[in-house]
Amino acid sequence: MVNPDEFKGKIKEIVSQQYNIEFLGNNFDQVVNFLTDIKAKKIYQWISKVIEREAQPIFIGSKKPYKEWSLNQLLVFRYPFSIGKTEYRILFVKFKDSIYIEFHLGDHKYYDKVRKDLDLKKNSY
Amino acid sequence: MIIYNPEKMIKERIQEANDLLSQVKAKYCFITGSFIYKEKYKDIDIFIITRSKKKITTADKKAKITIIDFNDLHSLFYHSVSKSCISKNILPKKPLKITISDYWNVINEAVPVLLNQKNKYHKDIRFLILYTEYFKTNNILDTYQLNKKIEEFKNYKEILKYIKEQAPEIIKGKIKKSYLKKFFYTQAGFYKDLIGYNAQRFLYNLTHLITQNG
Repeated sequence: MVNPDEFKGKIKEIVSQQYNIEFLGNNFDQVVNFLTDIKAKKIYQWISKVIEREAQPIFIGSKKPYKEWSLNQLLVFRYPFSIGKTEYRILFVKFKDSIYIEFHLGDHKYYDKVRKDLDLKKNSY
Repeated sequence: MIIYNPEKMIKERIQEANDLLSQVKAKYCFITGSFIYKEKYKDIDIFIITRSKKKITTADKKAKITIIDFNDLHSLFYHSVSKSCISKNILPKKPLKITISDYWNVINEAVPVLLNQKNKYHKDIRFLILYTEYFKTNNILDTYQLNKKIEEFKNYKEILKYIKEQAPEIIKGKIKKSYLKKFFYTQAGFYKDLIGYNAQRFLYNLTHLITQNG
């Protein structure tokens, strides 16, 4: 069982930037609570890989707006994992290849919603 | 019970699938995937077409339910999963609506995912193969054919090679030269700034292959 505040704190510590990352997701704290220490450690390792530019981002070459940014200013890093039979995804959003702005964590339904907002999911898929 | 394209199905599973579907409280539901084709299977893929937001469950622990919205009946995904399946009722059909732009979006996402997942790609390249094969052959692969095609690849590098060989020819053949150059030069400009990432470098090079003699 992982404490959500410690989880967020650890991520902020790894990222180490002035800008405050927004942690988003339906039942965010509840999902973090379900994480084992090993699963949390793997997430921290993945964050380090993102920082070291070893993880590959998804980039949308579109000027469509997303909140106060445009999509072509953002890089999206995706991390899939499961707890029991439920699949979860993390989407970690970086602005202009410099600061990390959002950390989304949720189940498939939430993931689909964020993918739509980020123009990654089209109805026609 | 309606059976669509039963050629590769295991006969004993047809009745089992029917029994399972009778437990599902939805008019339009169907089963496809490894449960109906393979002796050994991990999940039973049940698809339900519904507008309801209620959570639908079954007693079978291996059942994996995917909800399909009525708005998604035009999709290549729906056309593929419903092509060979066991269904409770006659499934609703809508004409396929996909574009080359959708295909590019699929490639754009599949490349970084592939480079991250390396050889654990099997679940993540389904759309990529489905789209590529559709545009290449005009044939929609069913779940059996799709899995068979995915199993032909030995590793992720072979899939990257497949993208490099197939995508430029497909795209060049489907869109007007003027639009092609305008769109892919713009994309190349975006990727150029991110060339430090292997995924965007691959995509940058791919845009060049697409615009060459385009």
